[in-house]
Amino acid sequence: MATQVFSIPKSLKKDVKYSFCPGCDHGVAVRLVAECLDELGLKENTITATSIGCSVGLYDFIDIDAIEAPHGRALAVATGVKRANPDKFVFTYQGDGDFASIGWAESMHSAFRGEKLSAICINNTTYGMTGGQLGPTTLLGQVTTTSPTGRNIEYYGYPVKIAEHIALSEGTAFSARVSLDSVANIRKAKAAIKKAFEVQMKGLGFGFVEILSSCPTNWRMSPQQAHERVRNEMMPIYKLGVYKDITA
Amino acid sequence: MSHIVIDEKRCKACYLCVNECPKKLIKISNKTNNLGNRIVEFDDPEHECLGCAMCATRCPDLAITEVYKG
Repeated sequence: MATQVFSIPKSLKKDVKYSFCPGCDHGVAVRLVAECLDELGLKENTITATSIGCSVGLYDFIDIDAIEAPHGRALAVATGVKRANPDKFVFTYQGDGDFASIGWAESMHSAFRGEKLSAICINNTTYGMTGGQLGPTTLLGQVTTTSPTGRNIEYYGYPVKIAEHIALSEGTAFSARVSLDSVANIRKAKAAIKKAFEVQMKGLGFGFVEILSSCPTNWRMSPQQAHERVRNEMMPIYKLGVYKDITA
Repeated sequence: MSHIVIDEKRCKACYLCVNECPKKLIKISNKTNNLGNRIVEFDDPEHECLGCAMCATRCPDLAITEVYKG
């Protein structure tokens, strides 16, 4: 008798079809969020504040209440939602351009205030939806449509290391960086997302996960090559690991 | 008998599952779906599938909808 070891998470909408490009890791990240909502039994009690960018369509995929925030302000909106409804579970799902560029102030100050929120940031080192421009996390030397000779320090400065910065805040309960380049890392990513959700449920503080993801379309690579780039170029700079965990 | 179920309409032909399967049981087929993608197919004549669900974990588009083990 065969037992079922994998099924589509129940928190996802019926017959959901992602709008992401072929091979994009956003699909995996959305599924992991849905699996965590399933396992923690949060679906009926959750409100999400969504961002602008490729991450925008979360409410089209996950069957939960959602509020659309202005660009970068997802955590500011989420703060209001959580303070008005302290018994609800509130999380944001953002890209690196949304979280760390236009929304850096809102994101950091949510962590400083120790808001009882969970935030997920997808880092693909570029602005995916608008056509692959240079973003705050673009690696040194990386060629994008707005840095055709590669990112150089004199002109553009250094890439932002989000998980480390969030971990410095005293209001942060959990901060980790994970990757989706391999199945083993996908399983670790799910554990980290679950932990970031649990610290909010226990009321301990701000839970944050930065997820290294691929963007085959804007990197001009095959999905397989894009994962190799995550492994060989991104992971030596953006080191994986748990940077803060007050429950450990 | 371990096996997987593929939803052909969701496949976007990224072929990440083809490389992920430890037994190389997922192959690129000659069929095209409604999105115009040349989809993958599960080909396991010798019942080698482990039911490890690595293909489903890797698939970014939920095209591998069910995995059975045993």
